[in-house]
Amino acid sequence: MKIFYLIKEGFKNIWTNRMMSLASVIVLVSCLIITGAASLISVNVTSLISKIGDDDQITVYLDYEMNDLDSIKLGQQLGRISNIDSYSFYSRDEAIQKYKEVLGNIYESMQDDGNPFGNAYKVKLKDLSKYKQTVDRIKKIKGVTSVSDRSDIANKLTKLNYFVTIVGSWVVLILALVTLFIISNTIKMTMYSRGHEISIMKSVGATNSFIRVPFIIEAMVIGLLSGVISAGVICAVYTPVRDMTSGIIGFIGESTFTVEQIMIPTFIVMSVIGLLIGIIGGYISIARYLRKEGGDILDW
Amino acid sequence: MIHLENVSKVYPNGTEALKNISLDINKGEFVFIVGPSGAGKSTFLKLLIREEKASFGKIKVSGYDLMKIRRRKIPYLRRKMGIVFQDFRLIAKMNVYDNTAFAMRVIGSPERAIKKRVKEVLRQVGLEGKEKRKPGEISGGEQQRVSLARALVNKPEMIIADEPTGNIDPELSFDIMKLLVDINKAGTTVIIVTHEHELVKEFGGRIITIEDGEIKSDENYPTKYHNKKTETEEDKK
Ligand SMILES: Nc1ncnc2c1ncn2[C@@H]1O[C@H](COP(=O)(O)OP(=O)(O)OP(=O)(O)O)[C@@H](O)[C@H]1O
Ligand SMILES: [Mg+2]
Repeated sequence: MKIFYLIKEGFKNIWTNRMMSLASVIVLVSCLIITGAASLISVNVTSLISKIGDDDQITVYLDYEMNDLDSIKLGQQLGRISNIDSYSFYSRDEAIQKYKEVLGNIYESMQDDGNPFGNAYKVKLKDLSKYKQTVDRIKKIKGVTSVSDRSDIANKLTKLNYFVTIVGSWVVLILALVTLFIISNTIKMTMYSRGHEISIMKSVGATNSFIRVPFIIEAMVIGLLSGVISAGVICAVYTPVRDMTSGIIGFIGESTFTVEQIMIPTFIVMSVIGLLIGIIGGYISIARYLRKEGGDILDW
Repeated sequence: MIHLENVSKVYPNGTEALKNISLDINKGEFVFIVGPSGAGKSTFLKLLIREEKASFGKIKVSGYDLMKIRRRKIPYLRRKMGIVFQDFRLIAKMNVYDNTAFAMRVIGSPERAIKKRVKEVLRQVGLEGKEKRKPGEISGGEQQRVSLARALVNKPEMIIADEPTGNIDPELSFDIMKLLVDINKAGTTVIIVTHEHELVKEFGGRIITIEDGEIKSDENYPTKYHNKKTETEEDKK
């Protein structure tokens, strides 16, 4: 009975203060979308990195002119290096095939005649700490033109990820400050009607928890609503954005998450964050009225 | 019911609003508190409702020791009193019925009991038929009646009113006072702070004069309306 009344009051408050509710929702939604977008970029980049930097493989590129037979013979020399755990032949045909898949559209545009790749070996090391010495030894083998490990790209992406995280955190921080400013101002604006109501509630003997509940429910609903809206917006634009970026760089398509994969977690996380922001924000804004002693009834 | 012993109130800024006050108010009394502006009248009421805590002395109200009461208990102290304000303190978006029912909802009364009791109280203060009006759609005198209905709805032991007629026309003030007398006759203690000497003279009862934070006089005067009404009621019998 009592709780239904309180919940009803909470919803009524939202409607009565609809301009402020709307303002809060807009601010929260923009904040959540940016945070969410940054997190999703970060998650996807991390996934890219882990796919690319998959195991500790390094690629040993052989002289472009070297024929297949000589290339296979070279493998025995690799086998003699003690720190090499295993090695496998990676023919130029395989390489071009893979490249086509990965680059997609870009490949089409830069297509010319012939295979630009030489043969190569994929090599796995036993002890990664001796990486440098081992690479040096591999390079000394006649016919080896270069050694590249996939972690090069991984390193670059890690940097990108770091960048996204840093920029994202700053944006979120600035937005959080803006949110705080706007919310505290809207609260100030509605302080009169709120303070009035609270002073009346106190005068008729309402307990603090009773006074708090409608305000918290109001803030919770606003937070939850903002979370759901943000998640909806993010999921709606996710696939187009993903398609666009993978149109430019092919392997983004295969190494990132699909909207089906991120949808449920996004909705859950966004709703929970929105809800929490609502509860905490509501709690803080109401606390100052409840903690006040003196000047809260007759003097109000 | 109310017991003050050597009570002083010093505000944080150093103002000594009440100095060494001692008095008792018994159940069923009809009390006016008068005195010049800044004398400490409102401060006295604030101590009773525990909006402010006394700096020194002893205060007991409705069985609660206000010097020791825990914060969580203060709402329960306030449920024993109905507070009436000079500015009515009605909620603009609620109609007369809901403003009155508010005090019962706040303490978690069941809706059915609320319906019955609110109807009763609105009849008592003469607001039957105006349940659906908003505060902005009724006169100041009627708004004060709503405020009175809200104060009464939980059947408090006492009514505490700070200048209840301060914002309404003199003719209407008289009616409000009469209502307070009727409430008092039903057994509720009534404490009224007022500036209006005419009314005080007219209604009588116990008159406590506070000046400069001290009790200057505390006397009982004939209560014309109390007697008259009682008489007429007895006549009827
Ligand atoms: N919160 C406060 N902080 C500091 N001083 C205060 C506070 N409230 C009241 N005072 C001072 O205490 C004294 C008594 O104030 P109080 O409000 O009790 O007077 P009053 O008798 O109700 O006056 P009025 O008839 O004008 O309402 C005054 O000097 C006033 O300025
Ligand atoms: Mg006063």
